[in-house]
Amino acid sequence: MSKEKEKEGGSETFIRRFHAFSVLVLIGVIGFFVYSNTVNEEAKYPFKLGLDLAGGSHLVYEADVSKIAPEEVGDLMNVLRDVIERRVNIFGVSEPIVQVESSSFVSDERVERLVVELPGVTDVSEAVKEIGKTPLLEFRLVDEIALANSYATTTATGTVPLPEDPFIDTGLTGRYLASAALEFAGGNGGQLSNEPIVSIVFNAEGAALFETITRDHTGQSLAIFLDGEMISSPRINEAIVGGRAIISGGFTPEEARELAKNLNFGALPVPIELASTQTVGASLGEEVLQKGMQAGVFGLSLVILFMVLWYRLPGLVAGVSLLGYVAVMLALFKLIPVTLTAAGLAGFVLSLGMAVDANVLVFERMKEEYRSGQKSNEAARVGFARAWSAIRDGNVTSILSAILLFWFGTSLVKGFALVFGLGVVVSMLSALLVTRTLLLALPESQIDKSTLLSKLYNSGLIVKK
Amino acid sequence: MPFIQHRKIFLGIAVVVVLAAVGIIAALGLPLGIDFTGGALTEVAYEQLPEKAYVETSLDTQGLGQYSLRETKDEAGRDGFILRTRDLTEEERIRVSGVLTDASTGGEITRFTSIGPVIGEELKDKALWAIVGVSLIIILYVAFAFAGVSYPVGSWMYGGITILALLHDVLVPTAVMALLGYFAGMEADVLFVMALLAVLGYSVNDTIVVFDRVRENLMKHRHEKKTKVVGTDGLEREEITYKLQKPFAEIVGEAVSQTLMRSINTSLTTLAALSALYFFGGEVTRTFTLVLIAGVLAGTYSSICIANPLLVFVAERKAAKETEAK
Repeated sequence: MSKEKEKEGGSETFIRRFHAFSVLVLIGVIGFFVYSNTVNEEAKYPFKLGLDLAGGSHLVYEADVSKIAPEEVGDLMNVLRDVIERRVNIFGVSEPIVQVESSSFVSDERVERLVVELPGVTDVSEAVKEIGKTPLLEFRLVDEIALANSYATTTATGTVPLPEDPFIDTGLTGRYLASAALEFAGGNGGQLSNEPIVSIVFNAEGAALFETITRDHTGQSLAIFLDGEMISSPRINEAIVGGRAIISGGFTPEEARELAKNLNFGALPVPIELASTQTVGASLGEEVLQKGMQAGVFGLSLVILFMVLWYRLPGLVAGVSLLGYVAVMLALFKLIPVTLTAAGLAGFVLSLGMAVDANVLVFERMKEEYRSGQKSNEAARVGFARAWSAIRDGNVTSILSAILLFWFGTSLVKGFALVFGLGVVVSMLSALLVTRTLLLALPESQIDKSTLLSKLYNSGLIVKK
Repeated sequence: MPFIQHRKIFLGIAVVVVLAAVGIIAALGLPLGIDFTGGALTEVAYEQLPEKAYVETSLDTQGLGQYSLRETKDEAGRDGFILRTRDLTEEERIRVSGVLTDASTGGEITRFTSIGPVIGEELKDKALWAIVGVSLIIILYVAFAFAGVSYPVGSWMYGGITILALLHDVLVPTAVMALLGYFAGMEADVLFVMALLAVLGYSVNDTIVVFDRVRENLMKHRHEKKTKVVGTDGLEREEITYKLQKPFAEIVGEAVSQTLMRSINTSLTTLAALSALYFFGGEVTRTFTLVLIAGVLAGTYSSICIANPLLVFVAERKAAKETEAK
């Protein structure tokens, strides 16, 4: 070999080692980021723990959207979410989650749900009561003829033919409410002196709707329903401009004050019903978390130990690459953020065992080349090239599955799919970038050299002479 | 290669295993948890465990209908009970919690879950769809990825065989779940579905790796022959026929032995992680872990002893038919 070539080879080795060094530093930096954001109580990126790990309550409400035009359901559910969120914020829970969950296309009936997660709240009755206070306010026109008919039939014949519902939905509900206030009706002619009433103001959209309804139906009655009960049904005397209305229904001052307060927090646009509850005590969650982490540490150590024992030097590299995988995954959990649950944690521990698969594939191909006499670096290169199609096809199916699961799973399955999908992508990258870079930076050897280094590139538990 | 040479034995074992699994599932039934059936689960822990009979007498007055009360230890090692009932209303929950916590000193409700029947029913649908959907994606992708090697076995066959192997890999852990339910009182919850999905992912990966080697070896050991053929419409087409330099069974056998070490090692690292989870992880994920262990074992068996022998089997059937036709 000429001197120049040697020099070139030398600088190439230097570049490779520099790359390897950079990769190690990068892993270190990511690891430090995860570490400092975990031990520090006021970290900017803490782990987001699910209710089963942090303790808390998980409530699922089912919304009755049967009377709502399908194209409006989405909007209404968002209004509902905002209202309940405001309500939940009253009891000072840190980071409550309120989200809409639509049953996906797989079920015949469209069911809209509201999921309320209250970390740290283990007294679920308090929460249920508080949310239950959110009033449902509806305005319905009274169909006088149907109303008269239903009375007539009952009185005249004694049999009750299914009376038509005399109340017609107007679409005007609590969702258009801007504010509510307690007032006392001025003594009108001295007769209705000081009756407590609740005056409400609609927002612009609601005011316009109110005006249209009152203009088109002057002379009819507009009934006001609170939580499904008719409170009053005043007659519309003229079109009402300005979006103000009054709810009067023989309230005591206390009741009226309470109603005004609750309406101000928002009124339900659709009726809701509690469908499922889940509470996990904080101490239990803590215990599950501890054990999950313990399992993770043991799992990681076992996998690395196995890799080092079987694949020796490349196995050690795979171990470093696996540590990189863990660091990147944990950093992603913090940054995205991914809500960690017991299931997610278990899935992550499982992924530790599967993440080295790409490494194993490469090392096996590399071993074939190495044993046939190739130099270790060349064997590694060929190993990566040959293993690529298997790595690609195996991982693409996994990624496609994860996307499908994420697309139509429930929130719990979504979390699992996210961890699973991220795990596949990150493990593939860690094998292709970290393992490859580090492996190529190692000093070269060949099988027929009977040095220690030469044996370190071989695999198996027994060192053959 | 013994796996290919004695393929009838290995395939026979697989058939027996699958039949046994189906039998177990049919006989014992899958112990569906409240995630699917709806119902309520209350876990309570005490400083001092009260008499079970005493707690049952107080529960009997609550009008819960059929319920089951089982002794358990919580994650911190405290004694307690798991109470399974129909789904409870808010009022019932408060009453039942009261009865349980008052039964002895230091009573504390550590976990409560109540799920309406509709949600459970819907989850069942979703779980089924998820499994079917994932299988479909796999068959399509595998057929696409192996489109280049449709001789001597069509590329759709690779996808189809992958699905057959998957069926085996899903049935085995499901049967294990049925056994766990029957003998240890464990229940299949959402985690069980996730375990099955993880098994699907693992097993496909495993099968694809071996098939990939078959694909590579096929390309290496085949002759390509192009002939010009004039079609019925008078247009000239190029037709490519392949000839293998080695028997197909031998090519597949080589692929299996070349990937054997990898199959074993990857299942060992996965089992290592799972056993850490079993021994050190929480009570909540124990069922999940056992189901996965069964799945990984089944997945490794199927990729070595089912998928590839089947591939050879299909090829031979096809060859036999072709000679018959001639």
